[in-house]
Amino acid sequence: MKNVLLLALTGWRENLRSRFFLLSVAFAGVFLYMSLLLGVLAVEQEVRVLYDFGLGFIELMGLAGALYGAVTIILHEMETKTIYLILTRPVSRGEYLLGRFLGLMLSVLASMVLMAVFHLAILAAKGWRWTDPYALAFLGAYLKVFVTSALATFLAVFSSSALTAGVLAAVGWTLGHFLPEIRFLVQRASVLAAAPLAALSWIVPDLQLYNLRDRAALEAPLWWWFAYAALYSAVWLVLGRSLFRRKEF
Amino acid sequence: MSEKPFSLEFSKVTKTYSRSHLGRTTYSRGIVDLSLSIPEGESFGLLGLNGSGKTTTFKLALGLLRATSGDVRVPDLSQVGFLPELPCFYSFLTPRESLRFYGRLSGLPEQAMAARIEEVLSLVGLSAQGDRRLGEFSKGMVQRVGLAQAILHDPRLIILDEPVSGLDPLAIKEFRDLLGTLREKGKTLVVSSHSISEVEKLCDRVGVLKEGRLARLIPHKEWDSAPEGLEGLFVETVR
Repeated sequence: MKNVLLLALTGWRENLRSRFFLLSVAFAGVFLYMSLLLGVLAVEQEVRVLYDFGLGFIELMGLAGALYGAVTIILHEMETKTIYLILTRPVSRGEYLLGRFLGLMLSVLASMVLMAVFHLAILAAKGWRWTDPYALAFLGAYLKVFVTSALATFLAVFSSSALTAGVLAAVGWTLGHFLPEIRFLVQRASVLAAAPLAALSWIVPDLQLYNLRDRAALEAPLWWWFAYAALYSAVWLVLGRSLFRRKEF
Repeated sequence: MSEKPFSLEFSKVTKTYSRSHLGRTTYSRGIVDLSLSIPEGESFGLLGLNGSGKTTTFKLALGLLRATSGDVRVPDLSQVGFLPELPCFYSFLTPRESLRFYGRLSGLPEQAMAARIEEVLSLVGLSAQGDRRLGEFSKGMVQRVGLAQAILHDPRLIILDEPVSGLDPLAIKEFRDLLGTLREKGKTLVVSSHSISEVEKLCDRVGVLKEGRLARLIPHKEWDSAPEGLEGLFVETVR
């Protein structure tokens, strides 16, 4: 565990200093500020529009950064051969994979928190007052990014192409919002069509679980949010580890 | 010390690379039927033309590649130091931070860490530059940090892939002296280099790889008595 923590903290330091991270946070800041123009269009619902747009944007930016990081981080270390100096030490491949993943997730959390602080400042300037659902919506957005990144990390190990892994993870993120519909189709479809849909319903993450924007209250207890994220991510990371152990450099 | 002697051993090792593209698999030779034993305390040189399998041999020893057939017997990785050709570090770290990172991964005790880092930085002549970002370093300085991380945890086996590549003549001499000191301390050195004169000065025995096969093993006394030295024997073998 010591190695995992060390790799995670080094990865987090690396990401915080990367131009991509700084630029994405700066871009998000500018874009969130620009969203004020959007709010003007919704005369009566200005705060509501700013609230929803901001949270959605934070999630998308977090997702973009996380997917980019998840699909490139190991390939980049393989290309630069930085990985040689780590894996030729008493560090297991599983420790390496988990450490890099957690480092990325820490960095993504930091960037999303920064964006949320800016978003809250804009909302406060428009007269909005703090409510609990904001924290829950933010947590939900982060956990969505977290589970999708675990899937992306597996895909990055499975595929040698960062682009393929990124696109597949983005498809997983999209389909993850339609899991109830996919499950409904499994019940209604013919046996032939139901089988691949059923398989898909087990592969893609249940992102609807974390979607607070479409409903008034939580459908599942908060502990299940964390338990689901931990279980789903663990499955993909364990599968990723078994592939990574066979990888040659 | 309760440590038992060890050796690096390759027993009939073959490594074939396979690449699949659009359903078609192509195979290329890495190493063919390599049998070699390097006992503890020996300085062993690996010579060969480009693509002869030197780096593949090292990667097999370090577990970065798996042998297609045969056995590679390697000591515990905590007892191995490795300097790759053109080492690459996290550019945002300083040499001191970098060495602390690798020291921790190697299991170096925290209480001994700071003193050991200063010792190896001094050995490679980088004490004064220890707090500069690695991203600002020249190729030669990065190579020195590479050597520092390879010897940081005081390993018994040190594998050096082209250690003097990109170094200026003064740095090459300092590197050679340092490797000589490690040799005197009883460390096992395995060195690959295109510089025959460096290998000649440092090694007890040399293996010549030709097209993935160990074409010849040359002990020190053999090149000492050869009229054209190691260079002549090498050329004769690879031609």
